[in-house]
Amino acid sequence: MAAGLALLLFGAVTAFLSLRLPIGTLRGPGSGLFPLALGLILIGLSVCHLVELHLTATTPPTDTEAHRDDGSAWRVLLFMGVMVLGTAFLTVLGFPLVAFLLMAGLLYILGVRRWQRVALIALCSAVASYVLFVRWLQIPLPKGWIGL
Amino acid sequence: MDVLASLQYLLSGFGVATTPENLFYCLVGAIVGTLVGVLPGLGPIAGIALLIPATFNLNATSAIIMLAGIYYGAMYGGSTTSILINVPGETASVMTCIDGYQMARKGRAGPALAISAIGSFVAGSLAILCMVFLAPPLAEAALAFGPTEFFSLMVFGFVVLSNVTGASLLKSLMMAMVGLIIGTIGMDPVTGNPRFTFGAVSLLGGIEFVAVAIGLFGIGEVLANVEQPTESLEQQVLVPRFRDLYPTLQDLKDSLGAILRGAGIGFGCGLVPGPAPVIATYASYMVEKRIARHPEEFGHGAIQGVAGPESANNAACQSAFIPLFVLGIPFAPPTAILLGALLIHGVNPGPMLISEHPNLFWGVVASMYIGNFILLLLNLPFVPLFANILRIPKKVLLPLVMLFCLTGMYSVNNFMLDLWVMLGCGALGYLMRKWAYEGAPLLLALVLGPKLEVAFRQSLMISHGGFAIFVERPISLVFLLATVGFLFLPLLRRAVRSLTRGRAAVA
Repeated sequence: MAAGLALLLFGAVTAFLSLRLPIGTLRGPGSGLFPLALGLILIGLSVCHLVELHLTATTPPTDTEAHRDDGSAWRVLLFMGVMVLGTAFLTVLGFPLVAFLLMAGLLYILGVRRWQRVALIALCSAVASYVLFVRWLQIPLPKGWIGL
Repeated sequence: MDVLASLQYLLSGFGVATTPENLFYCLVGAIVGTLVGVLPGLGPIAGIALLIPATFNLNATSAIIMLAGIYYGAMYGGSTTSILINVPGETASVMTCIDGYQMARKGRAGPALAISAIGSFVAGSLAILCMVFLAPPLAEAALAFGPTEFFSLMVFGFVVLSNVTGASLLKSLMMAMVGLIIGTIGMDPVTGNPRFTFGAVSLLGGIEFVAVAIGLFGIGEVLANVEQPTESLEQQVLVPRFRDLYPTLQDLKDSLGAILRGAGIGFGCGLVPGPAPVIATYASYMVEKRIARHPEEFGHGAIQGVAGPESANNAACQSAFIPLFVLGIPFAPPTAILLGALLIHGVNPGPMLISEHPNLFWGVVASMYIGNFILLLLNLPFVPLFANILRIPKKVLLPLVMLFCLTGMYSVNNFMLDLWVMLGCGALGYLMRKWAYEGAPLLLALVLGPKLEVAFRQSLMISHGGFAIFVERPISLVFLLATVGFLFLPLLRRAVRSLTRGRAAVA
């Protein structure tokens, strides 16, 4: 349901924004015509989808899914959060440091709890990825304040 | 172009493919492909996308040789995990799990692995041979295609792909629309007007499709794995011994028919829109089960149930290159990514590709043959080695995949925005998985979007604004009629079913 509404909104926003572009005529289509058509089709499709959901919504089949939820959604959220943090601090802290911290954080979330092991794996992967990408493949990854 | 000319070109293609440099890239592609196939959580789509930056310094031919190797290499690797631990390494190996794992439990993991490698090799080689003779005349026929025909063909492709992926046609079509809309971000391909860039210069070039691909298919898959309970992140792997690997003569005799049928089914599936290898494995398994002399063995370790699907997925992934090279229109995400890679290297595939870039086309075709041979050699003796990779616990593997995605994505354009797009698409991919939306139509639409729009607008300009042009041209009309058929087939089927049910209730 939420997804259907989100798609409806996405279609509406697209259609609205394309109206502000030059639509042109069918003879000489402008920039806005194609996205406008796409937005309208998406609106139509999502309305169909919502109607279909409404008609078949007698038994919500998602019930069993919700029951075995044992904090796993939290794990996904944390995992994603660490990725977002890592990306946000990439330019400031530099790639090698972020690689180490990112690996340590992700390993911890997935249940590697002995800190020596976390540190060792994170250190090895940070060094290995640094050697591979920065030294060998010469990719200009952000150096950050450690300056490597 | 006649048969002899094709053979002559193929020979020159072998000349291109056997330079030490190209042989090396073919080998790298095959190895990476096998790894990608073995590792759950990293499929061929994300694998190819991640390796695109590594090809920037290469010429187009070497680049495509390597990237294509990843695609068909993954088909070989995927069977390993299916057979050994009942976990498909990628979606085209799902059917192999059924009988492959049963064979492994009966101590016949070796023959199962060997027959899938041999079947893949035979089917792949046959498909390449058909491609050699089929592609040039098809390309000549496709010269008759104008923008109108291409538009209708692409629409047909989207609808068929949406019809065969996922449970709901409506959901898949919506995803295709979302992909097309994302594809309009950036400069208008006809007039150069900025669209939906909100004044940001960084959006002028459009949304990077590699970021979307890695996000939807790489990070989304990792997140889905993260969600599973921690216990399931560890698994026991049985590694077969080297001398147990070889199949008996009886095994070979039993599976020969299945391999040949699989090759035919797979080749056909590759030519039509859809996730060809997945559909091919499914179709092949069903056929084998139906015509088997002992259908009751299926599900309990029938070797035909391994040989057929494994041959089919490899043949399908070879023939999927035909629409890409002949029409310039990929019919599924992996070839869509390869189209993106070709465009990055300045090659615009279409009916003229074979005559304009003969070295590229014939070199890649010849390299596929060599690649299949490398994979056969690689897979038979080194299976224990690849199986050992599975011993890396998932809780270590998943963070590593994430680190690799981050670095790989950054290296495409050295652009922070791409990383955010990738993460956003990762979250989107995860949610789509949860809500049963398909990523394939979205990605294909994103890559084909600009082509579709140009074809659409050119057609309208040719016809001076009349939509009749799409039905007046015969080839275009055929595609559109087929599209309508595919759109309403499910509806019709449902109507008939409810009608018969109603009649049964009355009786």
